[in-house]
Amino acid sequence: MASQKRIGKELSELTASPPEGISVELADEADLFKWKVFMNGPEGSPYEGGKFLVNLTLPNEYPFKPPTVSFGTKIYHPNVTNDEKGSMCLGMLRADEWKPSSKIAAVLEFARQLLLEPMPDDAVEGRIAEQYKSDRKRYDEIAREWTRKWAMSGQ
Amino acid sequence: MDIKSFLELEAASSSEDSLDLRSLDLVSSYDSHLMCPICHCPFVQPVRLDCDHVFCQQCLGSAIITFRSADANEFPCPSCRTPTTRISMSVPRLLVNMCDEIQVRCPSAEAGCEEVLPRGHVQSHVQKYCGFRLVPCPDESCGKMLRQKDLQTDGRCLHGYCRCERCSEDVMERDFEDHDKVLCPSLEATCNDCGSTMRRQELTKHAETCSEVSIPCAASQYGCKSKVRRVDIGTHEAQCPLISIGPYLEAQNTRLKQLELTTRHLQQRNEIFEDGMASIRASLAESARAGNGARSTQGGDRDRARTEVDESTEMANAFSSHTTQYLLSLHESLREEVNQMSHALTDLDTRASMTIMNECLRIKEDMAHTNAALNSVRMQVQWLMNPRLHNGNRANVMRANSTSNDSSRTSLTSTSVPGPSSNGASSILGSLRPRRPSDSGREGTKL
Repeated sequence: MASQKRIGKELSELTASPPEGISVELADEADLFKWKVFMNGPEGSPYEGGKFLVNLTLPNEYPFKPPTVSFGTKIYHPNVTNDEKGSMCLGMLRADEWKPSSKIAAVLEFARQLLLEPMPDDAVEGRIAEQYKSDRKRYDEIAREWTRKWAMSGQ
Repeated sequence: MDIKSFLELEAASSSEDSLDLRSLDLVSSYDSHLMCPICHCPFVQPVRLDCDHVFCQQCLGSAIITFRSADANEFPCPSCRTPTTRISMSVPRLLVNMCDEIQVRCPSAEAGCEEVLPRGHVQSHVQKYCGFRLVPCPDESCGKMLRQKDLQTDGRCLHGYCRCERCSEDVMERDFEDHDKVLCPSLEATCNDCGSTMRRQELTKHAETCSEVSIPCAASQYGCKSKVRRVDIGTHEAQCPLISIGPYLEAQNTRLKQLELTTRHLQQRNEIFEDGMASIRASLAESARAGNGARSTQGGDRDRARTEVDESTEMANAFSSHTTQYLLSLHESLREEVNQMSHALTDLDTRASMTIMNECLRIKEDMAHTNAALNSVRMQVQWLMNPRLHNGNRANVMRANSTSNDSSRTSLTSTSVPGPSSNGASSILGSLRPRRPSDSGREGTKL
């Protein structure tokens, strides 16, 4: 009950004054624990111009347990798994790193920051991280191509 | 206070039947510092940790239960994760006062209570003063609940039923007033469109048939915006162009839907193929890297690449041969480059040795010239020296001759002049003279 109250509050805050490049809605009006977040690729990154769907799932124990973040749109990024799940690796979302005082807005802004500056040392896709470090130009190229292909068709 | 006694206290206080202050509807905004970082509400019974972070007592209790590892004596602060063992129940009075002063609506606002009051007073308002709170019926045998304001002074039970005379329905006495004035279906109502009056319960049925009610055109889903009275709808539908193309539009709609479905299907398939391509490309890149590492065993590499490819699909096969060819050509071009480099190197080498040779020759020639010049100079010097030596010798001889002449001449004249002194002088001269040619000869050798 307490968690629903807090989630509702955070949702209304996020819809009333969303952070830059982020818009939030419920995946299902009846379910407060599943959110659909649309994230615009930040300027200056190869994801610029793309619109990425991010699924945010909140546990029943929220805010004592961290939410999970996954990409519904395919994205070429060292910190996002390249499968249907599209799980994102965020340091602050690990169970032992999570603090109940962290807000969802902070999580989303952190995720967007990660699009701007990937963290290859904390990667889930080793191949992409390798490429990010050694051949930045090619990485930018592929990321831009994927963005064009998956994140721009208005799906 | 340590964790254990805090949890005990928390369990005891939560069992009390008190109002949930978090679910209250806040009227005024409040300072964000008064918000508990866990429940995002103004603090309710705040407690403080050693790191000076403040939480609601209840929120901290849940946080401790979640974060404490198996009955450990400490837990991380939910804000800064400082390991904490003690909980201070005393927070500044100022903080409590500020939280209690926030204006809230009475929780019975939906039932009709319009009271707005400080949060600190809500508890007593609800328990003592609110007219909308539920109280047990004064008739103990009834057992139902009743709003405080409806409580009759004579303590009568209002849960008995009485019959409405107009609609012959049994209505609870508590609700009778509402029923009589508003809800009773036998009350008369007027149709907004045709102006006829009828019983309330018949109104909905009437609206379906009333000839004056405007209804939308049947083609409204295709964009006909006109709303026509039911009497005239027949004439409108005969004229409306959208009605006549309606079936066609419908067919188009279904076709579009089918196409969309097919497209989605194809998209999915395409995605699967893309994934396959990507993985094949990745494995090829890996094998190529391995091939570069051990270029000497290129044939082996090709074999390895081929076995890998055999495991994957046919498409990959074509791909791999393409890549092997590419690698081979790369190798060829590299070899060519190396050849060119070695050519250039030998070229440079010969050129350098040629220039060195040329320089050497020139220098040798110069040296020969210098030698010749030196020799000629020596010759000239010798030539120049020779006459002087000869002269020196000759002069010596001549001088010796002349002195002997002089002495004979003086001996001849010695009779006339007292001469022992002059004779002595000439003898001294004769003893000194012969040394000179040797001196000049020494000078000559010096030159």
